[in-house]
Amino acid sequence: MRNNYIIRHFFLVVLSVFLCTSSFAQKAKKDKVRLKANYVKIMNNEIYFDIQASAKVDRKNVPVSKVELVIFNVLGDEQLELGKITTNMDGEARFTLKNLNSIKPDSTNTYNIEISFDGNESFKRASKSLSFKNANIDAKLVTIDSINYVTATLVNKFTDSIIAGQSLKVVVQRLFKPLVIKEFNETDEDGTILVPIPEGIPGVNGNLTIEVVLNDSDEFGTVKALVNAPVGTHIVDESTFDQRTMWSPRNRTPLFLLIFPNILIFGIWGLIIYLIANLFKITKS
Amino acid sequence: MKNYDTLLTDLAPSKFERKGVIWTGFLLLVVIIGAIAYIEELIEGQITTNMRDYALWGIYISNFVFFVATSFVGSATVAILRLTKNTWRTPIVRIAEIICVASIIMAGITIMLDMGRPDRLLNLFIHGRMQSPITWDVIIIPTFMVASILLLFFPLIPDFAILKNHFKDKKPTWSKWYGILSLNWTGSKKQIKIQQKSIKLIALLILPLGLILQTIDAWLFSTTYRVGWDSTDMGPYFISGALVAGLGALIVVVFVVRKVYKLENYITDFHFDKLGKFLALACLLYLYFNINEYLIPAYTPPKAEEIHLKMLFTGAYSILFWIVLIVGLIIPIIVMLFKKGRKPKAMFYLGLVVVLGSWWKRFLIVTPTLLHPFLPIQGVPESWHHYFPSLGEWLVTFGTLAMALLIITLLIRFLPIIPIQRTADEQEELEQNKNTKS
Repeated sequence: MRNNYIIRHFFLVVLSVFLCTSSFAQKAKKDKVRLKANYVKIMNNEIYFDIQASAKVDRKNVPVSKVELVIFNVLGDEQLELGKITTNMDGEARFTLKNLNSIKPDSTNTYNIEISFDGNESFKRASKSLSFKNANIDAKLVTIDSINYVTATLVNKFTDSIIAGQSLKVVVQRLFKPLVIKEFNETDEDGTILVPIPEGIPGVNGNLTIEVVLNDSDEFGTVKALVNAPVGTHIVDESTFDQRTMWSPRNRTPLFLLIFPNILIFGIWGLIIYLIANLFKITKS
Repeated sequence: MKNYDTLLTDLAPSKFERKGVIWTGFLLLVVIIGAIAYIEELIEGQITTNMRDYALWGIYISNFVFFVATSFVGSATVAILRLTKNTWRTPIVRIAEIICVASIIMAGITIMLDMGRPDRLLNLFIHGRMQSPITWDVIIIPTFMVASILLLFFPLIPDFAILKNHFKDKKPTWSKWYGILSLNWTGSKKQIKIQQKSIKLIALLILPLGLILQTIDAWLFSTTYRVGWDSTDMGPYFISGALVAGLGALIVVVFVVRKVYKLENYITDFHFDKLGKFLALACLLYLYFNINEYLIPAYTPPKAEEIHLKMLFTGAYSILFWIVLIVGLIIPIIVMLFKKGRKPKAMFYLGLVVVLGSWWKRFLIVTPTLLHPFLPIQGVPESWHHYFPSLGEWLVTFGTLAMALLIITLLIRFLPIIPIQRTADEQEELEQNKNTKS
């Protein structure tokens, strides 16, 4: 009787140890995911969150690809799901908002966003909070004494008050990396900057797209305003993108390469079909 | 004159002897080993090959170019000899057509073996761009394949009808198959007219098709901006090279078939003499284009070209380069200039040397160039700067070569290797001429 009691308890202990260690082993294998998120608002254009998921695996930072992230709008204790997004091969994802009216601020007019990852067999669950206020940049091109300037005013949208003492960056959009005109331009007591545009910057048909950027502000996130400025040095777009060239896609094959080889192909195959028809003629005659 | 029965006894397909069976079994074994190696490559990916970022085309492409070149023998013997009214071609023409069919089929298969994802082959047709020479290649290979099958088939029709009757009592199953293939041939005037017209047309068609095929093959290289390939000479260089490879292969197969089937009365020393002269002319032409291809760039070489030529003339590939050029081209030319050098046995060895030289020549065209791109690839292991095929690549390549030989062997087994009807007609014509004279 006593032996049975000991054996029963012994098996229970072994089973518990096995279950505990196996579940611990499973958990130990999981890595921690780090989420980074930036809020970006482009004036009169799109608003989005740039998200990056990474993890430290074997002491190396690796992107966490193909994982589903859920984006919430946090209002006190309440969480409103805005949508889901999956990271790409570089562990990156971009979640675009229709507009700011689709999310709600809290009582301090701060928008609170939470990005959540539920975890999977390789990674633990993780989340990232993001808070920002709504700011606008009103930028335009002005000419003073034949010199072209870009002027911009930074405004707190909710209080409708200007924001002084913030640094704005002025750049020209380029294909790979923006061309910086001036890195640090602090807004004055009117919340405004005035930056001269140097002469001689080349642009297709003389057009430049100038960006005024409030970069990664703790309070307002990243806000950009785009100004079209036809003040660049005139260059002609020599792109052959829409032309029929040897390097175009198949729907823009040069005409001579469509006509001549096809005449050859149809001519030769016409003769081949005629020869095959002759085989039938031989059979029937 | 040989009577019809003698002709049939001599030329009708007959059973393989022991050596023939062993040969076929051996080829089948090599094909199976090649297929296993390819299946492994298919499962593991092309990591099993030694092709890397530098040598992205390896032995498979060399082999493909060799098969394409060899297939030119159909155009060369049938079209060129027919258009130049060389009547001596009759006993060798069918062997040439058989080699042509086998080579072009294997060229098509080999190019698929080179593809990392052969399951995406259809995309070449669906998404092909006419600007790309690869698309032209994808179009011309099946076209040439169909044309070369027709080139083989049309002259065979009367022979099939003869064989149908010949095997009627001895082998009824064979007779039935020959009957189907003879397309109800009765030898009526109408049938002869259609057949002759078709043969004339296909003979005319196969020449430009062969030239287009070889030229496209050359343009695959010359339109790629690489040292050693960026040349306007490539088209004729490839055509003359194809003539050499094709004729070399023809001579070897003709010699073997003549010996095995004891056809000395049909394929005589005269034919080897003629083939020898033809091959010598082809080799001279090819030598001329080789001089153009290597001497002129060597005279005023840009830096990259200089490195490439140094690699061929005195560097890592120099031994192979000079063997291919001297043993595979120059010595055969010299030997074939003498009548004794154009005797059957000598021609067999010369043909063999020329074919081997042609195969390695394609390797020399493909590999050294790839190892010297204009912009060196950064951050790759040192071993990627060199290329020698892996065991898997060799097995697959030998498998394709064996497959080509197997197709030739099987076609020789079941088809009359020398046109029966045409030989009979020619002998009758000869007899009539003799009678008229006497």
